[in-house]
Amino acid sequence: MNTFTSALWVETLKMRRSKVPLLSAIGFSAVPLMVGLFMIILKDPEAARSMGLISAKAQLLVGVADWPTFFNVLAQAVAVGGAILFSVVTLWVFGREFSDHTAKELLALPTSREAIVAAKFVVIAGWTLAMTCLVYAISLIVGTLIVIPGGSAELLRSSFVDVLGSAALAIALMPFVALLASAGRGYLPPFGWTIFAIVLSQIAVITGWGDWFPWSVAALFSGAAGPRGGLLGPHSYVLVLITSLIGLAATFYWWRNADHTR
Amino acid sequence: MTYAIETSHLCKNYGPVCAVRDVNLRVKPGEIYGFLGLNGAGKTTTIRALLGMIRPSAGNVKVLGQALGTGGRGPWAQVGHLVETPSAYPELTVRENLDLARRLHGIPNPRSVDEVIGQLRIASYADRRAGTLSSGNFQRLGLARALLHKPALLILDEPANELDPAGIVEIRELLVSLVRENGVTIFMSSHLLTEVDKLADRIGIIHKGQLIEELDAIRLEEIRARQLVIETRDLVRARAALADFEAASLGGNRLGLKDRRAVETPELIATLLVNAGSPPIHLVLEQENLEDYFLRLTK
Repeated sequence: MNTFTSALWVETLKMRRSKVPLLSAIGFSAVPLMVGLFMIILKDPEAARSMGLISAKAQLLVGVADWPTFFNVLAQAVAVGGAILFSVVTLWVFGREFSDHTAKELLALPTSREAIVAAKFVVIAGWTLAMTCLVYAISLIVGTLIVIPGGSAELLRSSFVDVLGSAALAIALMPFVALLASAGRGYLPPFGWTIFAIVLSQIAVITGWGDWFPWSVAALFSGAAGPRGGLLGPHSYVLVLITSLIGLAATFYWWRNADHTR
Repeated sequence: MTYAIETSHLCKNYGPVCAVRDVNLRVKPGEIYGFLGLNGAGKTTTIRALLGMIRPSAGNVKVLGQALGTGGRGPWAQVGHLVETPSAYPELTVRENLDLARRLHGIPNPRSVDEVIGQLRIASYADRRAGTLSSGNFQRLGLARALLHKPALLILDEPANELDPAGIVEIRELLVSLVRENGVTIFMSSHLLTEVDKLADRIGIIHKGQLIEELDAIRLEEIRARQLVIETRDLVRARAALADFEAASLGGNRLGLKDRRAVETPELIATLLVNAGSPPIHLVLEQENLEDYFLRLTK
């Protein structure tokens, strides 16, 4: 068994036995249920009007109750909700080593620190992508149960790309959360950053610079501000990739070279 | 000679604060080395440097003959450690925590977990979650993890912390047997000076970041030696009467005699002083222990 396989086994065990990943999955599963609720409201305009402002806003934002709208809202929710929930998973995987004081047990081992950090990232990527697929599967069930029109095989394929793409673009930025959880030795710095990044991404979109700000790209990809073709260019994806690689390199560098005093 | 631990001019600064300064340690294979110091003296910083957890600001560290490289590279397959308070994943059982450590140490045989559980006598807690353990059993879990891979060198920071008196004796016997039977080298810090005194072959005392004294077996024996302390009103007459006994001045009108005859027959000394016209006003048999010596040195 090589050191990476050992580290992956260890990280998977920790993930399996903790309640945090399960709670994050339950929380994320609420997304398609919420979107389904929107669709139920939109399906019956009279009932929606009787609900007052909420229904008016829903009408304004999401249009009609059909499968394309359902998937569009789902992709947006995955992009924004995912940025928060994926961050929670990431800051837990890295930050817990400091809050439980177990980081020092990962340093002087035959298994390299690089293997341990890589295993953590693999577990995060695997878990967050699995959660996204789960949410997509739940959304198919919810959409079928509330009976909305406009479904097709092509829509199924493109919506899967939208949802998975939005999630992947959000996941790609998780190394920064990991870095802050490590260098900040706990949960608060990365959580603060997550909130700050969401606010910044909103400002970037409003001011028209969203395609140049990596933390806005997932939301724009999801169609939150209109069709992505006119909002994102190849440079947007390259920036996400570069940001991701910088975050990864910085996290590996930190674990390898920082003074571990806790 | 290849030392188990060798540091040369080890320094560690945190900004303007010098935590460890010019520490030169040489720990021989098969030796128990006690490392003493007050809180904040630099013990844990030194131990973390020995384990590659922090990078020295200057100097270098060799462990089992291997210079520590960047990224914590070192001979860790042969080194067991316990740094400050032990830690474990609270949601995992004792057995799972040890199995996790086994994997990270690359030990293929799962039975090593059962062996160390037996060795540390934690079998009755093996399937309990680590988060529910008492602090003493948590300490045993930390020691079990340090011993799991049968290391050639143990670096232990306060190994007897949180243990009850019976547990302290048990761990002491275990450590001694590891040295005597398996030739393990132990580098340990402790606040329990009587424990260090009982265990250590050599002792290093660190104070304000500097290794101020190293005590070998002979020096330790001297410290542990008894002496007869005399107080008299006429020191000149008393010295003359005790000329055969190498009396050392202890300040004031006090003299100390380590001569075996003096220690074993204090009544002889009393008689000599009375006959010389300088009777003792105080005569007591004292034994300085490591604790007294350490406190005197670090005052």
